[in-house]
Amino acid sequence: MTAQSLSPARPAPAGPAGGARPAGPSRRNRAGSRAERLAPLVLLAPALLIIVGLRLWPLVLGVNFSFTGDGDRNGMMVGFENYATLFGDPLFRTALRNVGLLVLLLPVAVAIPGLLATFIYLRVPGHRLYRGVYFFPAVLSPVIVGAIFNLLLAFDGPLNKLLGGLGIGPVDWLGDPSVAIFAVVGVHVWATFGMALVVFLAGFATLDSSLLDAAEVDGASLPQTIRHVIVPSLTRTIQFVFVTTMIGMLTSMFGLLYVMTTGGPAGSTYLPEYYIWIQQGQLNQPALASAASTALFLIMLVVGLAQIGILRRSAGKED
Amino acid sequence: MKQRTLWPAVLVVGLTLSAGCGSAAGPGSSSGGSGDKLVVWDWKSGDAKGAGYVAKAKADFAKKHPGVNVEFVAQPFDQYYTLLGTAIQSGKGPDVIMFNGGGKIRDRADALAPLDEYVAQDRQRLAGWDAFAKDGKIYAEPVTLQGHPIYYNKDLYQKAGLDPAGPPKTFDEFVKNCGVITAKTGAKCLALGNKEGIGIQFWLSALGSAVLTPREYDDWIAGKRDWSSANVKKVFELWKQAGDSGLNSDGANSTAMFNDAFGIFNSGKAANVIGLMSDVGHWKDFAEFLTPEKVGVMVAPAVTPGALPSLPYDGGIGYAVAKWTKDPKLAADLVRSLTSSDALKSFYADSGAIASDTTIDVSAGGPAVKTIVSELKSGKPALHVALPSKTVDLMGRLSQELLSGSTTVDDVVRQLAASDKTG
Repeated sequence: MTAQSLSPARPAPAGPAGGARPAGPSRRNRAGSRAERLAPLVLLAPALLIIVGLRLWPLVLGVNFSFTGDGDRNGMMVGFENYATLFGDPLFRTALRNVGLLVLLLPVAVAIPGLLATFIYLRVPGHRLYRGVYFFPAVLSPVIVGAIFNLLLAFDGPLNKLLGGLGIGPVDWLGDPSVAIFAVVGVHVWATFGMALVVFLAGFATLDSSLLDAAEVDGASLPQTIRHVIVPSLTRTIQFVFVTTMIGMLTSMFGLLYVMTTGGPAGSTYLPEYYIWIQQGQLNQPALASAASTALFLIMLVVGLAQIGILRRSAGKED
Repeated sequence: MKQRTLWPAVLVVGLTLSAGCGSAAGPGSSSGGSGDKLVVWDWKSGDAKGAGYVAKAKADFAKKHPGVNVEFVAQPFDQYYTLLGTAIQSGKGPDVIMFNGGGKIRDRADALAPLDEYVAQDRQRLAGWDAFAKDGKIYAEPVTLQGHPIYYNKDLYQKAGLDPAGPPKTFDEFVKNCGVITAKTGAKCLALGNKEGIGIQFWLSALGSAVLTPREYDDWIAGKRDWSSANVKKVFELWKQAGDSGLNSDGANSTAMFNDAFGIFNSGKAANVIGLMSDVGHWKDFAEFLTPEKVGVMVAPAVTPGALPSLPYDGGIGYAVAKWTKDPKLAADLVRSLTSSDALKSFYADSGAIASDTTIDVSAGGPAVKTIVSELKSGKPALHVALPSKTVDLMGRLSQELLSGSTTVDDVVRQLAASDKTG
């Protein structure tokens, strides 16, 4: 009896070996409810194990690693020294400043697809063609886009020839520290705005066309229509595009940077992820790179939480 | 009932976990280390130009150790040191590892086995050992020599009415000749690519011996670098002047050294280029457009009196043995096969690289390669190779600032001095 009560989780041997028939049904019930209680856990286990084992645990290891030293001091705990080095490094500060610049440029990156989608929605001549053409760059890999624009923006490239023809002196688009970051962000926006455009078009599909007709009847001009009808109706779409564009800018510019400027000139186009790659791969300072990764993670966490907050607030407003 | 729900779930968990492990462990074949198998990591064996070399080295090794299987894993060079860094962190990976000389191998010497006792017989035959040594110990055997000869386009010199066989001896003469070439042919003086900040490395090393006194030069290599000396400053002043006075090809900061800058030289749009001796950007690399007899090599034109211009070069690439390999002697034997005369001869013939074995006959290679090999005897280690990687990286960025005019030479030298001290 004691053996049975110690191992109630084994129903198969318990049935025939027990011999205590009256106790049978209640035990089966107990076992059944236990199975029901366990089933969700078992079903969740694979996902949880993958998240904990392959995501969270490495993250903890990475953060822990950022408190150790590099080179001769490999494996030694050095406290916050890596973080001090990091924030003392003008290059990392440039990278953070560039993140700030990206945030500032975000409205432009959202406005462009928004405006173009508006024109397509308002059926400007050739809108079907434009819809396809605008989306096309989104299917190209950043490396290919970068290579194409390397040629176009080269000092002796077509764009400068064109400017020269107009009497404007050549600009070293990718070689002038004060211009290069804008050139790269511009190319990134060109390469990725197709996705945002599609989201905007989906948003337009939900737009009440009677509002537009009413505006037209009232004699509203195009800017007035955009400002008073389209923008208020698309608030949630615009917020969603803001969030996804921000994430795209912070996490997927590496390929373009690598191909177009390699972080230069004079480090002016560094972003945190490029800095991490250089420190780990080229300068062999994995612990410092870990510290930079942790810093980037925290930045993304703050930005992400802020954006989730904004989305939730707006959703609440609608309810 | 319970069994029926539990077992499939267990199966799913088991499968998922083992699948997860498999992908986390990476391709198992590339991390060897068992007794009868050696894994080599490099970025050459996948190249058609390196095939003959690898075959010769393998054959040589098979003769000595018939039972041992050798696997070459060619990694993309872009990602090479990133992948290697991961292998080193995990303490397992290839047995034999290709390295660039200088900072790249010194920074990672902790993960390597010293080779002194195994390679003693090769010390005389091969050159370029210093680039693979740290604290008096040898960590790799050199395969090629890498250096920075100043190549010039004889055709352009001739068109400008200059003597293609008598390149300028002094820097002033060099600049004056360039003025003539640009006026007569429209070609720029120097093909320069500084997008990655590599242009300044080549500049520092190619012109260093023409600016620094022999004493300063040797001190620099020995680690006693006086960044505040007038001559060191002069190197950076010349760099800035060359940019300001339009000697360089246009848009140097946005031109990649590999291979856009060499393309400018190849196509005759610039008369000179500071190139390499191995891998790319060397005499044979140019041969597709400029036949070998049209390419000359000049000794650095003298800048300061008392300087002794010489060819800057070091060990280029070499093979090292990982600390974690089971049988270092066996791995070292493979390294020795990879640097055998036959293999290196094949490497030179196929790729045009200057091999570490200076006894190889290069007489059929054209005037440039002959000049280079004849200069090897008096050559000295390159200045930039002696610097820590961190300082080299900083120097690249500062050089871009100098070209774009956003900093001064004094500030550059001060920052480099600070980085060199802490680095």
